[in-house]
Amino acid sequence: MDTQHNRPSPSRFWNWFNPVGRQTSGWAFMLQRVTALGLTFYLFLHLIILGQLAYGPQGYDSFIKLVSSPIFIASELLVVAAAFLHGLNGIRIILTTFGISVTRQKQLFYALMVLALIIITVFGIRMFTV
Amino acid sequence: MSANIQSVSTPRSGENSWWYLLKIVTGVLLVVLLGIHLVVNHFIGQHGLLTYADIVAYYQNPIIPIMEICFLAVVVLHSLTGLRGILLDLKPSRTILQVIDTFMIIVGVAAVTYGTWLILTIKSRG
Repeated sequence: MDTQHNRPSPSRFWNWFNPVGRQTSGWAFMLQRVTALGLTFYLFLHLIILGQLAYGPQGYDSFIKLVSSPIFIASELLVVAAAFLHGLNGIRIILTTFGISVTRQKQLFYALMVLALIIITVFGIRMFTV
Repeated sequence: MSANIQSVSTPRSGENSWWYLLKIVTGVLLVVLLGIHLVVNHFIGQHGLLTYADIVAYYQNPIIPIMEICFLAVVVLHSLTGLRGILLDLKPSRTILQVIDTFMIIVGVAAVTYGTWLILTIKSRG
């Protein structure tokens, strides 16, 4: 694994997000970290926004109408993409934690990312066409 | 990627093995539960679960509120244990770590309590 960027140290905080000089494992690390932070932020935002449901149909349906523009759909697709990239890369991390496919991590990573891109494409088509 | 010891994820310094295992277990559960959540919200019916009426109708199936409460608890646990792991990489002092842990517990309990209330409120509207 590329330990250059993920060695624990406060001074290396920005290196988590620095794309320069990374190997595949470094990209996988950065992808997992960026999506983790983004999804955590979105989770709590999502919970707060869903509070609109408590105000009944007027409040919620008018909010949904507001966020039905392409820019909001694209933002939502970004969240869906982050979820699948994080989840499928997470499967690789779990498998290797238990000693499975440790020597074939790169191939496993690429295969799972291709799968993620296919799923994201399917969601994207659905979200922009209904 | 070479197959050396550094190529495999392990608990961080300050991360209890049980919390690390919890992050893994909730991660596996999330792949299933989040997958269901996303497919249901985008692929059910003609538009997915889009309107207030769609959501209230969906929650009348008794298994759905149970599944959504489990999903909520799992996703909150996974996100907060994951965030704690990331913060541990910043090598916080013992005092700061105690503050972080207290904050995480308060946020986690509040989020699950609020989310459960919201789920039961939606179900009661049917």
